[in-house]
Amino acid sequence: MSEQVNQAVEPLATIGNATPRIDAVERVTGTARYTRDQRLPGMLYARILRSRLPHARIVRIDTSRAEQLAGVVSVITHENAQVVWGAGSVSGGRQYNDPVKEATLHRRYIFNNPVRFVGEPIAAVAATDRHIAEQALSLIEVEYEALPFVLDPEAALQESAAKVWPEGNLAPDAGNRFQPMVTRRGEIDAGFAQADRVFEDRYSTAFIHNAQMEPRCALAHWEGDRLTLYSPTQGISNCRHDTARDLGLADHQVRVVCQYMGGGFGNKNQNQDTDLIAATLSRRSSAPVMVEYSRKEDWVRVHGRWPTVQYYKIGVTNEGTVTAMQMNAYSGMGPYRKNSGGISGMDGYACENLERVIYPVYTNRTVSGNFRAPSEPHGHFGIESMMDEIAYQLGLDPVEFTLRNMRRPTEASPFTNYSLDQCIARGVELFDWPNRRRTSPGSDNGPLKRGAGFSFMMFRAGVGSSSAIVRVDGDQSYTLYVGVTDIGPGAKTTMGMIAAEELGVPLSRVEVVSGDTDRCPYSVGESGSRTTIMTGYAVVEACRDLKRQVAQKGFPSTGEVLIASATPTPTTDGKIRNCFAAHFCEVEVDTRLGTSQVTKYVAVHESGRLINPQTARDQIRGATIQGIGQALHENTLYDSNTGQPLTSGYYSGRLATHLDVPDIEVEFIEVDDGYGPFGAKTAGEAGIILSPAAVANAVSNAIGRRMKDLPITRNRVLEVLS
Amino acid sequence: MSDPSEKGKIPGPDSAVELSRRDFLRNTGATVAATTVAPAVLGAAGARAQDAPPATGTDIQLTVNGVSHRLTVQDHWTLVELLRDHLQLTGTKIGCNRSECGACTVLVDGQPMYSCSQLAVWMDGRQVTTVEGLVQDGQLSPLQQAFVDHNGAQCGFCTPGQLMTATALLNSNPSPDAAAVKSALVGNICRCSNYNAIVEAVVDAGRRNGGAA
Repeated sequence: MSEQVNQAVEPLATIGNATPRIDAVERVTGTARYTRDQRLPGMLYARILRSRLPHARIVRIDTSRAEQLAGVVSVITHENAQVVWGAGSVSGGRQYNDPVKEATLHRRYIFNNPVRFVGEPIAAVAATDRHIAEQALSLIEVEYEALPFVLDPEAALQESAAKVWPEGNLAPDAGNRFQPMVTRRGEIDAGFAQADRVFEDRYSTAFIHNAQMEPRCALAHWEGDRLTLYSPTQGISNCRHDTARDLGLADHQVRVVCQYMGGGFGNKNQNQDTDLIAATLSRRSSAPVMVEYSRKEDWVRVHGRWPTVQYYKIGVTNEGTVTAMQMNAYSGMGPYRKNSGGISGMDGYACENLERVIYPVYTNRTVSGNFRAPSEPHGHFGIESMMDEIAYQLGLDPVEFTLRNMRRPTEASPFTNYSLDQCIARGVELFDWPNRRRTSPGSDNGPLKRGAGFSFMMFRAGVGSSSAIVRVDGDQSYTLYVGVTDIGPGAKTTMGMIAAEELGVPLSRVEVVSGDTDRCPYSVGESGSRTTIMTGYAVVEACRDLKRQVAQKGFPSTGEVLIASATPTPTTDGKIRNCFAAHFCEVEVDTRLGTSQVTKYVAVHESGRLINPQTARDQIRGATIQGIGQALHENTLYDSNTGQPLTSGYYSGRLATHLDVPDIEVEFIEVDDGYGPFGAKTAGEAGIILSPAAVANAVSNAIGRRMKDLPITRNRVLEVLS
Repeated sequence: MSDPSEKGKIPGPDSAVELSRRDFLRNTGATVAATTVAPAVLGAAGARAQDAPPATGTDIQLTVNGVSHRLTVQDHWTLVELLRDHLQLTGTKIGCNRSECGACTVLVDGQPMYSCSQLAVWMDGRQVTTVEGLVQDGQLSPLQQAFVDHNGAQCGFCTPGQLMTATALLNSNPSPDAAAVKSALVGNICRCSNYNAIVEAVVDAGRRNGGAA
């Protein structure tokens, strides 16, 4: 395993040292308290009844027998609990805010009628015991009028398709116009006219579930008109604001607590209907209520990555210069547009003639939403597969083809720095690309065939606003207040390290207070790979202010404190700020069985300066492995006749296990571009963006057949080989 | 680097593990007799709770982390439910509740088992070890220390299960290589996919301990 870090940046005292998490002991002793570990006096347990049909009108719902069951305290349905879940359906799929809530045409409530997918909530029961709540669900009588349904995003746009919403199945944009997302630049027709050859192909990717280990849950507790919500969230500040808005409360009336969180990878962004259901039941029951999901509920009810179909048309000269790029694509959003449906990857190329049309489509499948780098891995798989195939068709090395065509800084579009060339060059060397790649794909004799694949990416690392507070006491101990939760990447430790560095004290002198909106200022939330850059920079500014105060007034005497806060609004001076990476993968395909095993993997990343190299490395390794799973195994299947989900848990979800993964060799190129906290950039999402593409290209290189659909299952390999 | 003297420090006054086993026994008597089988119910819910059918159950004796318990358990309770809801040992996590993920792994008579798929009544006379039982004399086990040093936990939700399976492995194979570790831990899923770090931690724990976990 490689853990090398280039010493291109000036060494610092705390930052840059591999540092165990400051709460690592809690994580290994079972003392870390997750939401489901919370216990409040008089706490009730809640369970949710869910639609068993993919699309149906609820004609009658009778909860009387459930209400009479001993131990049942409250039952709510669409008839007696109408609460809009604003973040659950958003016109345009943009980040949710006040104007967006008002504008959204297709509103989503905590209980909807009609129901539009299998697993949509119909009723919720709070009872003194979770077994009683479960029993009560079986006593609720629901009469459905089944409605026609549609599962496939392409089919859903046909005239004859069942309509998920009255206006049809193309999801509206932010202005409620029923139009696809379109990007155009240059002259697409002129670009194709310049081409010697034009390549066209179709690629598809699957719906895959985030499958975080901690199933959804929420514990709500009212004291008067004040709500305390224990919820596994990727952003306590956003969760509080969303929940307050949805319940008609002011922000200060809601406290969100999340000290430990068992993974989310995008599906614990914002607030959740679970939070609103818990709050509603708690209010009606006059007792704290804990809503708990089963694994199956979490799988079929909470969103995953949107499935896509991507049609590409690429024009290229005989020398290998791309002259035109076109994509028409479909993203299956489920029946509510929770997030964008984006498909990215083409922006990594310099070609000036580009047209991209993406249709976000409603279907009667589980809702699609954010999964780590929401728009990227499936799009990079599509475009990188296209380009890999074109390179081999032209007799070129895919790396050479990329170096000729990838986007670079221009006078009109300057970058804060650019290190893609170095990432690629270093990866070629570490991986021994020339010797592992089959210049003639599929040329091994078999039955075991090896091949190598390459992919690259650049991804946003922009700066932005967030807040931090830092305090020094009379004993010269420091307390940092930041609204982060360490959901896995190590934010709590990273923030402490940034403060220690800026204050010039050891990390052990800084106590980090996090995960509680009553104690911490706003933070951007653990999504979009933003926390280190944005909240980290607020920490820098707050610490600078505190140092200034100490310089002026001296340290406080016993019983006194000095406090500094900061909410900076940094910019990159009009420059593009990206992180960069190149991945190189070798696979061995058993052509008798169709199985693919990754045998070597090299990931070279530039994520600016590393705050904590240990957690940065493991973000890259973990994300890369998730991408390997997306490439080779993961899919959520539906029965086309009944609309029933067939994949509802880990066994059939076929996530990567210990036995599926090689050592991921990670090397960082470190750079300080002068922006962000000490030059830190994006790391959390970076690894998954390009790993499915590298794996798919490796399989195609091994067997000499282009794999156009993810996941690359045994059946699909055997099919193309037959 | 963090202060090495902090290694092995156990957190917080409200932490169960800070209580040494001796203190625990002194405070509770050698046998904990649990007479209340349902969680305490107060406030508005209380009136309804009294209507609930009287709990029937089976009397069992089991030892958890070295502490003997005599309990009346309901027949449908799982072991993880007993541990989390009735013995307040919430370190053991429920990831799937159906033998798919391994987050709930505990040791039963030294063998790793999914506690979601063991009934509490089957535990009569058995010795159960949970993640809370790995700390001895206030010190992390070598395996726990290796998880700290190697970043073995990302989100940390699968970590208790990984630790328990790895503890059983190290007890039977004190110096496993990476292949042996992967093979033993295949039933413990980590969606953070922190597999490389976990394997490195277990291999290193074997190395530094020169044997027992």
